[in-house]
Amino acid sequence: MTARYVLRRLGGTLVLLLVLSVAVFALLQAAPGDPARTLLGPRNATPDALAAVRARHHLDQPFAVQYLRWAGDALRLDLGTSIRTGASVSATIGGRLALTGQLVGLGLAIAVLLGVPGGVLAALRRYRATDRAVQTASLIALSTPAFAGGLVLIYVFSLMLGWFPAYGPGTGGDRLPHLVLPAVALALGVTAVLLKLTRAAVIRELDKEHVVFARARGVAERRILVHYVLRGALVPVLTGVGLVVAYLLAGTVMVEQVFALPGLGSLLVDSVTYRDVPLVQAEALLIAVLVCLAGLLTDLAQPLIDPRLRPAADAPRRPKERR
Amino acid sequence: MTSPRALGRPRGLPGPSGLRPLTALSVLVAFLLLAASLFGQTLLPHWDAQDITAGARMPGGGHLLGTDELGRDIAQMVIAGARSTLTGAALVALGSMVIGNVLGLLAGYLGGWTDVLVRRWADLLLAVPALLVTLVVAGIGGGGWALAVCALIVLTSPSDIRLVRTAALEQRHLPYVEAAETLGLPGRTVMLRHIWPNTLPVVFANTLLNFAGAVVSLSSLSFLGLGVPPGAPDWGRMLSENRNLLWTNPSAALAPAVLIVLSAVVLNLLGDRVLEAFSKRGKS
Amino acid sequence: MTTTTAATTTSTTAPEPLLAVDGLSVAVASGARALVVDGVSLTVAPGECVGVVGESGSGKSLTMRAVAGLLPEGLDVTKGTVRLGGEEVLGLAPRARAALRGRRIALLMQDPFAMLHPQLTCGRQIADGLRGQGGRGRAVRAARRAEVERRLAEVGLEPSVADRYPHELSGGMLQRVATAAALAGDPDLLIADEPTTALDTATQAAVLDLLGRLRRERAMGLVLITHDLRVAFSACDRVHVLYAGTVVEHGPSHALRTAPRHPYTAALLASEPSARERRPRLTAVPGSVPAPGERGPGCPFADRCAFTAPACRTTPVALVPLAPATAGGAGTPAPRASASATDPGTSAPDPGLSGPHAADAGGRATACLRAAGLGPLDPPAGEAAADGAAGTGPETDDAALVVSDVGRRFGSAAGDRQVLADVSLTVPAGEVTALVGRSGSGKTTLARIAIGLETFDSGTVRTGPVDLPPGRRPSTADRRRLAGHAQIVFQDPYASLSPLRTVGATLREALDAARRGGRGDGAETVESLLAKVGLPERYAARRPAALSGGERQRVAVARALAARPRLLICDEAVAALDVSVQAQLLNLLDELRRDQGFAVLFITHDLAVVRQIADHVAVLHDGRIVETGPAARVLDAPGHPETRRLLAAVPAPR
Repeated sequence: MTARYVLRRLGGTLVLLLVLSVAVFALLQAAPGDPARTLLGPRNATPDALAAVRARHHLDQPFAVQYLRWAGDALRLDLGTSIRTGASVSATIGGRLALTGQLVGLGLAIAVLLGVPGGVLAALRRYRATDRAVQTASLIALSTPAFAGGLVLIYVFSLMLGWFPAYGPGTGGDRLPHLVLPAVALALGVTAVLLKLTRAAVIRELDKEHVVFARARGVAERRILVHYVLRGALVPVLTGVGLVVAYLLAGTVMVEQVFALPGLGSLLVDSVTYRDVPLVQAEALLIAVLVCLAGLLTDLAQPLIDPRLRPAADAPRRPKERR
Repeated sequence: MTSPRALGRPRGLPGPSGLRPLTALSVLVAFLLLAASLFGQTLLPHWDAQDITAGARMPGGGHLLGTDELGRDIAQMVIAGARSTLTGAALVALGSMVIGNVLGLLAGYLGGWTDVLVRRWADLLLAVPALLVTLVVAGIGGGGWALAVCALIVLTSPSDIRLVRTAALEQRHLPYVEAAETLGLPGRTVMLRHIWPNTLPVVFANTLLNFAGAVVSLSSLSFLGLGVPPGAPDWGRMLSENRNLLWTNPSAALAPAVLIVLSAVVLNLLGDRVLEAFSKRGKS
Repeated sequence: MTTTTAATTTSTTAPEPLLAVDGLSVAVASGARALVVDGVSLTVAPGECVGVVGESGSGKSLTMRAVAGLLPEGLDVTKGTVRLGGEEVLGLAPRARAALRGRRIALLMQDPFAMLHPQLTCGRQIADGLRGQGGRGRAVRAARRAEVERRLAEVGLEPSVADRYPHELSGGMLQRVATAAALAGDPDLLIADEPTTALDTATQAAVLDLLGRLRRERAMGLVLITHDLRVAFSACDRVHVLYAGTVVEHGPSHALRTAPRHPYTAALLASEPSARERRPRLTAVPGSVPAPGERGPGCPFADRCAFTAPACRTTPVALVPLAPATAGGAGTPAPRASASATDPGTSAPDPGLSGPHAADAGGRATACLRAAGLGPLDPPAGEAAADGAAGTGPETDDAALVVSDVGRRFGSAAGDRQVLADVSLTVPAGEVTALVGRSGSGKTTLARIAIGLETFDSGTVRTGPVDLPPGRRPSTADRRRLAGHAQIVFQDPYASLSPLRTVGATLREALDAARRGGRGDGAETVESLLAKVGLPERYAARRPAALSGGERQRVAVARALAARPRLLICDEAVAALDVSVQAQLLNLLDELRRDQGFAVLFITHDLAVVRQIADHVAVLHDGRIVETGPAARVLDAPGHPETRRLLAAVPAPR
């Protein structure tokens, strides 16, 4: 992989991030009413207080200047103070990061460990009973919003069976059992997406002529499966994993609400409900960064897997055909 | 003697025997849901009749699915609640289809700068989690149902844009399109008469899938308290309000959950079927 | 259903052939179970090359796929036996069957780009087929690497190819890599399924030579599946001609070529254009191959045959051996001993009832009922017609197309490529000009520039009355004027027509466009257009899916004619068609041109087709015109090495 390729991808990511951050910053202007009043929140909007807010957020300056100051502060992790609590936004987010991180990590692990092998299995048994069963399950999972799934999980596994705690984050070593049901609820839809994608990718590979040719010259079936079929399906599946990170982040909003988890998701809902704009902006920015990072990682991983995606300058010269 | 059962070989191609009854059932359920969303509130004018003294009760005593904390009949409420989620989701799917067709067709046929701009726009929207953006936009912007639907239309459209653009690009240089051009037909005619019709089956299937996705997204938003105003019947809101009743009357929370899932399942299933039928036809 | 239980059971005294297929039938697994292969028998001896020739729908590939145990999904072997080195393999368990592949039998396919895995190095893919080369140790790896390099050398490639990925190699090299991979397990029998069809003409001959050399060096059996009789005759010892799932004739290449005994073989030979001489008219076979399940009880070729007698349609036909003494020339079939040939009730081959076996080397057999009466059929007509109008220098005043000094670059990530450089070409009115070159020579780009589908960077292009602007696509007004003058017929019949519209709608649109453009007299109708291209009126209601490839190309020609063009551009318009259908189209184009007097710019890679149709030839090589002149002069006395290479690439009988 050449440095040029890495730099180009990196540049693309930065541009995307720039666009997204402008959009995030514009939220303040997009909120109905005077931005200063919005930032002041429910407090008494005396002229003095409004003037103070305007001065602190440079609201009387052009949009670009405001943005640059805001972005500069954000780079130093100074994201202002919460309207609702008055606490530092960075500290508030930092305090909740771990729980949501664990939740997303566990959810992603469940989705990948169930979705990818499930998709491979369905593809290998396509149109048979196994495939139908797997596909039906995945269809239902895809159609279940995280909050509905979470509620059913609580009903069945907490109320009826009593296997897992229903609410709360738990403490210390108690954390994992508390996160199992939320992670499953979070992973439901994403697992289905990954499964669908993997199945399609593996079937596409199975139908390729190079698989027939491998068979026609006696390459062992196991070798064909691992080195030819799964190898070929790796790029689309990996891209899919990168894409579902965004879905997972969105899912935390509902799951944390259902399971009463004090993570970033429930913080976002609270902030949105209270129009706590600085906090919403900070969270939106964080999500944008995470999504961009996931995209960048998959972009950079692809040429490592597929030689065709390596830049042409990198390829050695074509050998000549002997006559 | 049959061919060897090597890996991944389907035993039999999916024939008419496959899941056809399920497809028929899905169509039936889809029609019932449609009817509920259109006529539910008209047929059940007293869906919100309260009986606060009764409170939340288990099913029985004239209440098929029991009652909620205000003594309202759950069965009537879920039927009345079909409207906001399903019509909203239908609007999202249709709006996204219109945007997707216009932008996708223009990008695919015209190419050049139009294509670059449209593609970048779609890529940008695809990169962000739609539900979160809608949550933030609708929340900060005042929390209306209409705003949420509009945001979802814009955020769903990239899937249609990409689909139509790819289909148009694929056909752009196919001989029958170029032959139409060499007949001297104007570009508009070529686009609408020769390229567009061939993209329709896939677009239709994708619209069903988007419809299902919008059911999930919209009900999620109303679960979070955005979208429908308080007091309106809505599955997501019912679920949110009644989740504390899991101990007293589980069906108060589970019934709307089941209906959300059922709607999405049926729509996803039909979308998959249309895609399947189309790809099979394309092969033969 | 025909019951061609050919008498091919191996006699007990003869040495066991490498491959003996007997009465093999393949049917669609579901529905009406239509037979796609119907009682095919053939044998291959060690070191022998056997050709399996047929047009699309003949079942040639499926027969050999069944032999290799690689039938596509939805097809089953219904009867017959396949013996590999004396061992019956159809009854083997899948695992045992798979174990035979690579070691005993291997299959080489058509498209080298699709056959190799894009993410694995060539060396790795060859190594995957080597026998007993597993293991991880350093010594094992070194030995494996040495073996891979040896295999690459065997197919004429340097060792460094082992580290290349397929996308870094050319089609010809990839086909060599694939050949090495197919032979990695040292099979006794190699089945090559159209191994040269996807390749450039110039590369085709090299790959055929390679296969021939490997067969000799390894004393390996080779089955060459091809649609091209010329290829089969040039490479094979014996040839089996398949039609609609049955073998209609087989015998030594030379005998089949000089004295075909089945009307289908004769018709195929006659419809094959020759690069050496121009025939007044190609003998085209009317109609097209009947679909599986639509075949009558009699001879499957009866509907298209020039010699059909009433009995041909009702009597099931079987391969009947010709007496060895007379096999090469006139003679009568040996007495038929097979009872099953006349009795449809006995369908299974019965060794006890079989007649003299036709599998002898040099043996010939034909499935024509009237073989005795007809005798050896005419080999391709020998008389040569005068070559096209020559000598008269093209007059630029009246030319249908004048291209001068045109250049075109294509930019890509890999760098710019000059596709056309200083190309000048004049297509005189009313005559046929052929533009010849291998793929990548720029001939299609030039055709597309002429009709405004592609832009050019420099030079001038005047198509009839329209001067095309460099650097941009023509305006709608220009395109409309262009449409009245020039039309195009593309190569791929399956993409030439809008899949959702009926033939009538497609033609009506073309007529309307012509009328709006102020052309066409209004007298032309969909029906008259269909009649011009030899299609019945009822085709107007059909959609493209219900048409055969040849019929679709006819509709494409009709659409082009709606505009009453003065110039018809045919971009490889017959290249995707079977030879018998190709001849129909070439004849049709010739008739229409005489009748309507339009000029033709005929883009092709096939000099045999050029000989048949063209008055003038321009040879394009790497984006430059390297030779032009009257067709007869260029083909008889080629001046440029590229022209000679293209001529040499036309397969010639041994």
